[in-house]
Amino acid sequence: MLAVVPVLPDYPFTLHTLDNGLRVVISEDHLAPVAAVNVWYDVGSRHETPGRTGFAHLFEHLMFQGSTHVGRNDHFGFISAAGGTLNGTTWCDRTNYYETVPAHHLETALWLEADRMGGLLDALDQQNLDNQREVVKNEKRQTRDNQPYGSWLDLVHRHAWPEGHPYQHSTIGSMADLDAASLEDARGFYSTWYGPDNAVLSIVGDVDTDATIAAVRRYFGGIPAKGSYPPSPPSEVPPRIGQEIRQTVPDRVPVPRVFVAYRCPPFGSPEFDALELAAIVLGGGRGCRLYKSLVLDRGLLQAPDGDVTSTWPFVAGATVFLADLPAREGADVAELEAAYHEIVDGLAGGVSEAEMERARAVHTSMWLHHLATVDGRADTFSQFTTLFDDPGLVNTLLPRQLAVTGDDVAAAAREFLRPDNRVVLVFEPAAEGEEAA
Amino acid sequence: MSLIADRPAPGPPRPWSFPKFDRREIAGGRVLTCHLPGKPLAVIDLVADAGAVTEPTGKEGVAEIVVRALSEGAGSYDAYGFAVAGERLGATWRSQTDWDSLRCGFEVPVADLVGAAELLAAAVREPHLDEPSLLRVRDERVDEIRLDQSQPGPRASAAFAAAVWAAGCRYAVPDGGTADSVSDLTPDDVRAFHAARLRPGAVTLIVVGDLDTVDVDAAARAVFAGWAGGEAASTTPAPPTTTADGGRVIVVDRPGSVQSMLYAGHDAPNRRTPDYVPMTTMALVLGGMFNSRLNYRLREDKGYSYGAFGSFDTRRDAGVFTARSAVQTEVTAPALADAVAEIRTMHESGATETELEQARSYRAGVFPINFAGPGAVASGLAELVVHGLADDHYDRLRQDVLDVELDAVNAAAAQRLRPDDLVAVVVGDASAVADELRATGLGPVEVLTDED
Repeated sequence: MLAVVPVLPDYPFTLHTLDNGLRVVISEDHLAPVAAVNVWYDVGSRHETPGRTGFAHLFEHLMFQGSTHVGRNDHFGFISAAGGTLNGTTWCDRTNYYETVPAHHLETALWLEADRMGGLLDALDQQNLDNQREVVKNEKRQTRDNQPYGSWLDLVHRHAWPEGHPYQHSTIGSMADLDAASLEDARGFYSTWYGPDNAVLSIVGDVDTDATIAAVRRYFGGIPAKGSYPPSPPSEVPPRIGQEIRQTVPDRVPVPRVFVAYRCPPFGSPEFDALELAAIVLGGGRGCRLYKSLVLDRGLLQAPDGDVTSTWPFVAGATVFLADLPAREGADVAELEAAYHEIVDGLAGGVSEAEMERARAVHTSMWLHHLATVDGRADTFSQFTTLFDDPGLVNTLLPRQLAVTGDDVAAAAREFLRPDNRVVLVFEPAAEGEEAA
Repeated sequence: MSLIADRPAPGPPRPWSFPKFDRREIAGGRVLTCHLPGKPLAVIDLVADAGAVTEPTGKEGVAEIVVRALSEGAGSYDAYGFAVAGERLGATWRSQTDWDSLRCGFEVPVADLVGAAELLAAAVREPHLDEPSLLRVRDERVDEIRLDQSQPGPRASAAFAAAVWAAGCRYAVPDGGTADSVSDLTPDDVRAFHAARLRPGAVTLIVVGDLDTVDVDAAARAVFAGWAGGEAASTTPAPPTTTADGGRVIVVDRPGSVQSMLYAGHDAPNRRTPDYVPMTTMALVLGGMFNSRLNYRLREDKGYSYGAFGSFDTRRDAGVFTARSAVQTEVTAPALADAVAEIRTMHESGATETELEQARSYRAGVFPINFAGPGAVASGLAELVVHGLADDHYDRLRQDVLDVELDAVNAAAAQRLRPDDLVAVVVGDASAVADELRATGLGPVEVLTDED
């Protein structure tokens, strides 16, 4: 087999900073007459205060309820009528908002984003808050509480970080905290975190850079800087958990399923790069070790596509390497878990060059796929500018990660994928009458 | 603070048309090629007339087993070897079956497209289909269906299909089969379906990407050269039949549910219906955009739900209309009543010109976004093959959307929405919702439990 020479990304871009601190990345791509607009605010669920978990995400919903010059639901209405798509998401490190529009409607998207960056409080009211609180509670029910295994994510957050750590709760938060959120909380959150000097705006697509930055100055230039933001909550943690934390969860589920989470160094570190490749060697694609052993050879694991492990791109203190292991029906869950640990332990013994070549090729294609659309690229420019102040990582992160060696992977596995650094959740079908916590 | 008060006017629209593509015959095979410059990844897909509707009675789900088995050992590769060979090229195997087609292929860096074509050829023409692999794939699939059916959405979808379509109609069973139907499949069933349906005369190869430096002919020859077998037998599925007793509510008991998954709908025309454009544009107003009536009522007005949707699924032989939402258990009955009321209002009074203009401009405007890359364009080309649509279909469709008038849309609402025929499926906690549902007057309420 010939060695594969990957095509590396080489996307052009310019970075601009407005007088009010708004950082703007513009990247021209004239292949199709579309433009992606993407705003990252440097605030996520890790910035929430005790008793207000879930608030950053609830607040994201309020950003679609109108602003100084935009009526309730008109944000969706104007973008839809332009033939565009839009949404927003919240995670631990950020809140993002984005539109993809036919390029001649670019300024509509800029105008809408500017109006809510500068003028949300004019439209924020109790009725909108109460309505979106119910919507978000239904989002939590639909995606967590009414799903089999639905509590796994909360439990990983609870156990992988120590008490009081900003990642110790998941983004969706708790029903009680959502119920307690007040209009004053919403106004305070906006006044504290939402300003041009805490945001990155990325624009990718069929645009002219000079005309676009001029338009950005026109729409966003009048929004005053806030000047200062609270320091990020302290996030230092010991590099490892220090013990195995194990919880058995009886639930209304068809088969047992094991989740194993390890604490590991954050996104941006060399160890994280190595663990990204480790995730592919172990559990990414059907050529990975876990698929070969647990699916093909032993019939213990359900993983039709071979995708078993993942790393989370968190930057504050420590992040998580996760394995998701649904058992085959009739398989012994203890045998599945033991076989899994055996494979993971084997990684410390070394990785062949052939395995690394496969992992690099798989990683390259995943990354190229992610960057292939203007919206994926705009989100990534915002991400790297917000988290690392370096939009150029869109082009340079992949070569850096492809330089990871088999020895680096083995060393990272030895350091972090180990028994005294893991959370093990075992979901088991509940006996009749027994209910999940 | 100074914000710009007025919404900016759009600039001049920029021209867009569906990417140009060629229909060719290479080595006796049908090939569609489409050059999309500047994209580092390409797609090579094989589309076969081997969807769920071509499955023999009693073999529901065999098409999905076949497409999975193709990559479980083929040519000189065992299952693991096949996976590694593709992944070392950076090629991602993609496979799916639906009602009307079976599709498989790779997304792959442009430089390795011919290598991926060789792997695809081995998978389709020389799969081992050995008994141990087939039994494993089958049993894994049964596990997967059980896991899937433990979730409210897929459970509701399956129960809805069984309620709307008559027993014996293929549409009454999910396109991927049920745990029971798949459990009963034998290795010979899988081999027979493969032999009958995956034939050179019954497949089309689709290649999309930056093809300037790609030897497309070599890729196509790898797939078709020397492949004997001719056409697949034409299948004439029995005309779809419905249970023809709408106006009823079926509760699928899922004890402890904190939400109810609602499905309400009925059968509908197939993909070739002459009012396809007005019918589906009407559905955008009802339930296909964020500001659609269903989402507005259930989410933005009432806060009952995270989202509500309504749409037509138009297949080759027939279609279905469904309205769908997951709602808080406590509001199950009023939420269903609201959804049905929105369907009835649309049926009786139609859309407004303002709503239609938004749906029209959204649907026409979003084409260049929806066809942004090789994968999406390949899927678009596969739709042309599956439904026998003309080469200029997407450009004509876009124009037809821009031209659609309110009278036609409202005629479609009157004819294609049938509020009195709705079958409603509610997957939720029967002890909490059944009595209230009886009081809605939406029809008789039947409760199904796991034992049924």
